[in-house]
Amino acid sequence: MCSVGDVVGIDVKTLSTSEYECLDCNNKFKGIGKRVKCPTCKSSNVRKIG
Amino acid sequence: MSARSDEFVRIGFDEILYLCGRGGVIGVVKAGVGQWFIETEEEEIALFTEADDLFVASGFGTGERIVKGIGCMLYLVRDVGSPLIVLPKDHPASGRLKIVVSAGAKTTISCDITPGTHPEQDVLCGGGEFDGVRITGVAGGVRLHNIDPGKIDIWTSKI
Repeated sequence: MCSVGDVVGIDVKTLSTSEYECLDCNNKFKGIGKRVKCPTCKSSNVRKIG
Repeated sequence: MSARSDEFVRIGFDEILYLCGRGGVIGVVKAGVGQWFIETEEEEIALFTEADDLFVASGFGTGERIVKGIGCMLYLVRDVGSPLIVLPKDHPASGRLKIVVSAGAKTTISCDITPGTHPEQDVLCGGGEFDGVRITGVAGGVRLHNIDPGKIDIWTSKI
């Protein structure tokens, strides 16, 4: 899904990230995966905004 | 004649799978359900893994020092929760990296990666005998595809 280290030639901009908004604390963040939670308040009450 | 085959290796959450070739060592652990962070020069990305997703570390070199380093790296990432740091392209530290790490459901090892040509993002560099090996997290363990057991030592130990 993702790699660390420029030596592998990974362009992070091509990762399939989505933008989310937490409906409890209004934090906006980028995420990858199925069980997305707010990184700030840990709430699962999030919605995809982009 | 190719002696490559598919292998299933059973590992638990507290175990690390080592694949040791002539020029490199790969370590694999279950990521488990969790949240991790990918940090770039410009942004932070939250990564959410599933129970059978994997962290795969590829080390350039062999011997006890690299094996220990891979175990430490995977412990640092999974158990300590250290974020995955992505260096900017052409950063001078890139050539100094001894171990690189990937995360996700599957990882393909390649020894011939051209920058910018692998948008599938599941490719990790590794030594020659690992070229084309695919590592997939499955229930109860790890599936190794297209691997030559005659050229790669495979063992597990506690992380």
